[in-house]
Amino acid sequence: MSIKIQNISKSFGSFKALDDIHIHIKTGELVALLGPSGSGKTTLLRIIAGLEAADQGSILFGNEDITHIRTKERKVGFVFQHYALFRHMSVFDNVAYGLKVRPRKSRPSKKEIEERVYELLRLVKLEAYANRYPTQLSGGQRQRVALARALAVEPKVLLLDEPFGALDAKVRKDLRRWLRRLHDNFQITSIFVTHDQEEALDVADRVVIMNEGRIEQIGSPEEVYDHPNSPFVYDFLGNVNLFRGRLHKGKLHQGNFQIDAPEFSDAENKTAIGYVRPHDISIEKEENSKDGVSAVIKHIHVVGPIVHLELKRNDTEEYLEAELTKDLYNNLQLKTGEKVFVKPKQLRVFIPEDYTI
Amino acid sequence: MAGYIPMQQTNPPLESSRSTTEPRLVRFFLIAIVIVFLSLFLVLPLIAIFVKAFDKGIDVYFASIRHPDALAAIKLTLIVALIIVPLNAIFGIAAAWLVSKFDFKGKNILITIIDLPFAVSPVIAGLVFVLLFGTHGFLGPWLFEHDIKIIFAVPGIVLATLFVTLPFVARELIPLMQAQGSAEEEASFTLGANGWKTFLFVTLPKIKWGLLYGVILCNARSIGEFGAVSVVSGHIRGLTNTMPLHIEILYNEYQFSAAFAVASLMSILAIVTLVVKNFIEWKTKTNK
Ligand SMILES: Nc1ncnc2c1ncn2[C@@H]1O[C@H](COP(=O)(O)OP(=O)(O)OP(=O)(O)O)[C@@H](O)[C@H]1O
Ligand SMILES: [Mg+2]
Repeated sequence: MSIKIQNISKSFGSFKALDDIHIHIKTGELVALLGPSGSGKTTLLRIIAGLEAADQGSILFGNEDITHIRTKERKVGFVFQHYALFRHMSVFDNVAYGLKVRPRKSRPSKKEIEERVYELLRLVKLEAYANRYPTQLSGGQRQRVALARALAVEPKVLLLDEPFGALDAKVRKDLRRWLRRLHDNFQITSIFVTHDQEEALDVADRVVIMNEGRIEQIGSPEEVYDHPNSPFVYDFLGNVNLFRGRLHKGKLHQGNFQIDAPEFSDAENKTAIGYVRPHDISIEKEENSKDGVSAVIKHIHVVGPIVHLELKRNDTEEYLEAELTKDLYNNLQLKTGEKVFVKPKQLRVFIPEDYTI
Repeated sequence: MAGYIPMQQTNPPLESSRSTTEPRLVRFFLIAIVIVFLSLFLVLPLIAIFVKAFDKGIDVYFASIRHPDALAAIKLTLIVALIIVPLNAIFGIAAAWLVSKFDFKGKNILITIIDLPFAVSPVIAGLVFVLLFGTHGFLGPWLFEHDIKIIFAVPGIVLATLFVTLPFVARELIPLMQAQGSAEEEASFTLGANGWKTFLFVTLPKIKWGLLYGVILCNARSIGEFGAVSVVSGHIRGLTNTMPLHIEILYNEYQFSAAFAVASLMSILAIVTLVVKNFIEWKTKTNK
């Protein structure tokens, strides 16, 4: 089922938690809501589920306007940020709950319920835990019970609020792969909230980046990572080097750098900032081109196949971060304290008047 | 027995660490003081009640209890408790639900008003009802015209007791439900349950021990209430006398053994209440 979120706004008192949100989500899509803490992700999810009322705007499931329909009729699966398992019920009863509370007419028989619950517990690999209580489970297990409980009612829309928030990195990674497969098998439209950018880029079909109640950018993981449309998104998705300089007739002047910025060919003497990702900085031992700038390697640390360099520029005394592959690093035979020449391979210029971070 | 007012459920005591333990001598003194106090003001009187009750022999004891006026008083007391406790449970749940799950203006004022009966003397509470419903009261003439008796009748006793016991269940449940939040209820709604089923299957099991605790205290107070009931009852023997009023009358008539026989009955009720209360406290602790 497709979801249309149309100019949704929500205030708590005088505080604007959501400001004119538009998102269209296609059937079967897995969308990540990404943003810093307090950016309104949970609030948006709660509005979609009907747990919170929007001040204005409307929500459509398919072609049906469900803005004023109560939560219980919306048929969404909701996995809460803090699980919200029924603590006085066993795992089995938690998962069975949604089926047991159905009105008599549509309620499956006891046997059918049992089959369905065990099927789901198998799916989340918790069959052996059916009789345990939530307090007797680990965080990851609780999370999976919450997921099984939400899936039991066969929702058309699945909303997950930081489903892997409290878990360690390894389990997180396993579970999000598993969620991706699950999503593909069940043909559900899913929205999941996270403030982990890697997680969002890893599993989502599309990423919605939120900041202070507004949407900054929507796009595929590749789009938002490679072509951020604002300094905020640049900053939020991964590390970035800032080149604060002067923009004049399509060139950014900064220290000894003169970098082409053709999209600003009519700019006249404006302050501007260039954004460069660490892996878009090229390192050379000899001065091959005249737009390279000399720098000294201050630190080298190797994490798996990636080598992180911390450099200090000789012209402006500013620090830079660069990343290169281990192969390249070995070829160059770099050492701490060595003088090299750096050059941005790709850079994006923003004029600060338009944006503030 | 009923003068005990819990403002909040007591938390399990923190285990005292070595550094905070008092020196032995201080501890010994504190224990001694507490024991002396308890025996002087609680245990001794309790024993005295039973000694006095059986003063004139077991026959007099049972005769006093089986006296028609005594039986009527016992019956009335139990009827009042039977009416008060469910009403209070319903009010308490409703008030706690309102306060803990909704945000509205004047919430703090509401909580304060719920506490009012704790602050007002029961005698004044009784007088308020006399002022409202008495013959010369605000609604008196209208009630008289329609032949409805409230003051010096059972409805007055129920009203006065209700006023005095109003905070018990609500006071017990408000902090409990506030602490529990509404996440589980929200989960229930998303799973398609309606409000009633959510209350029955999710909320009620979470609060049942707190609710029972409040009910026990409310029950104890409604059985033992003297001041407010005394004002509105009219002390009509066999009709509007509750157990505490009956005891007072017997006592004023120098029928000490009879008075203490009924008093011993109330004490037994109180002890049973305490035992149940402790069982519930133990149960809530193990449930956590
Ligand atoms: N019931 C409420 N009353 C008042 N303010 C609220 C309420 N709920 C949320 N807010 C505010 O709205 C803003 C957005 O909250 P929200 O929970 O949606 O953030 P979030 O993006 O989910 O953050 P996190 O990543 O920390 O979970 C926050 O500043 C929060 O303080
Ligand atoms: Mg949140």
